[in-house]
Amino acid sequence: MTLAMPAPVPTLQAKDFRSDLKPIWCPGCGDFGVVQAVYRALAAVGRPPHEIAFISGIGCSSRIPGYTTAYGFNSVHGRALPIAQGIKIAHPELLVLVAGGDGDGFSIGGGHVAHAVRRNIDLTYIVMDNQIYGLTKGQLSPTSPRGLKTVTSMYGSLEEPLNPLMYVLSYGAPFVAQGTPADLPGLTAMLEEAIRYPGFSFVNIQSPCVTYGEESGQIKAQKEKMKALADMKHDPTDRIKALSLAQDYGRELYTGVFFRDPNPPPTYDALVKARQAELSANALPRQNILDLFLQK
Amino acid sequence: MATRGIDFARLSLKDALDLAIFIEEEAKERYEDFASQMETHHTPDSARFYKFMAGNEEKHRAELAERRGKLFPKDPVTVSRQMLFDVEAPDTDEARTFMTPRQALTVALRCEEKAWAFFDGALKVIKDAGVKELFTELRQEEVEHQDLVKAELAKLPADDRFKTEDFEDEPVSHD
Repeated sequence: MTLAMPAPVPTLQAKDFRSDLKPIWCPGCGDFGVVQAVYRALAAVGRPPHEIAFISGIGCSSRIPGYTTAYGFNSVHGRALPIAQGIKIAHPELLVLVAGGDGDGFSIGGGHVAHAVRRNIDLTYIVMDNQIYGLTKGQLSPTSPRGLKTVTSMYGSLEEPLNPLMYVLSYGAPFVAQGTPADLPGLTAMLEEAIRYPGFSFVNIQSPCVTYGEESGQIKAQKEKMKALADMKHDPTDRIKALSLAQDYGRELYTGVFFRDPNPPPTYDALVKARQAELSANALPRQNILDLFLQK
Repeated sequence: MATRGIDFARLSLKDALDLAIFIEEEAKERYEDFASQMETHHTPDSARFYKFMAGNEEKHRAELAERRGKLFPKDPVTVSRQMLFDVEAPDTDEARTFMTPRQALTVALRCEEKAWAFFDGALKVIKDAGVKELFTELRQEEVEHQDLVKAELAKLPADDRFKTEDFEDEPVSHD
């Protein structure tokens, strides 16, 4: 008897993750770069599209799952994280990505971020942070800089922007990074690392809005001002230093991994499995399960 | 334009050909994307030009693929698209709604220039004679492409005083 040789596993290329749906973002939008980085990162990770679930909320950036060949769910405004967590718990074998904008993630969906972080469910949350509500034509968003003039702040915003990096670091996220489409190789490497990280990983991407965003935030301007954390000799295992650097959000454009817990805490799914194993040791056999309800 | 994980000093002819194919493939896709963006955003002249460029890149890709097929018919691909970032493809943020044909051609010219710079930079470290010959040929082709684009640019009238930003550029819907 001869055994057939297993067929060689085909190497996945970036184009294998590109769907036939053409993006309708405004020409020049930063999100075009983000989706290119996502294609490459997914190809590098090597999981086929049918093993990936890509969940998003509502907004320009939340269209991204449709532009990939992964399973996608363009869900409800601010509710990408709860849906993604449910999917991951039900199907722990899936690679789960979550994406949305700063408004989706830190305004209407802000309350969900803390709980996703503290549960440490193994998913990657990508926020495409453009500091504005673009799809609804340019209103203030939670990360808009103070003084920004928009249709909802004709005389300039009076509020300090929310700091996404500080937010997730403070709640104990084990992997926190920031990238920009102005540095596609760096963004790709960071996304790949975030996806591979065993636990909740957060990547804030400064993805400028070409239509309503400030000139100083566009990709060409970002190329001038971005500073790689690796070049600054930042130690990504130092959470306190990461918090210190994260305070400069909005003033400096640091790119790279702010924090990577060198001892990844147990994920929610690992804890569930452990609890099930523990309880099943003393559980009644299935055929005697009714004994639980019968009076002896 | 950038690369990741390519050791040019040890590059083989097969891998060099595969990378060159990926470069053309990426450029073709990006021009197609730009054409689609221009069509969606009511900029038909530039859409036509980007489609034309996509066709050119596809032609170059097919030529290289045929050559690769003849030289290394059974050897598997061992390099990937993930190693290349916009070598000949326009940067993702180069398109603009209502961009004029002159602006579209200027984007294409920049792409041919950066592709030339890529091959020129690589040639400084390449050791394999076959790869050197291939990249020298491809570098020369970029010069010829630049001349073609410059000739087309010379035929176009000057742009008017308006900027694309002067026009409303709003998000569109999938329906």
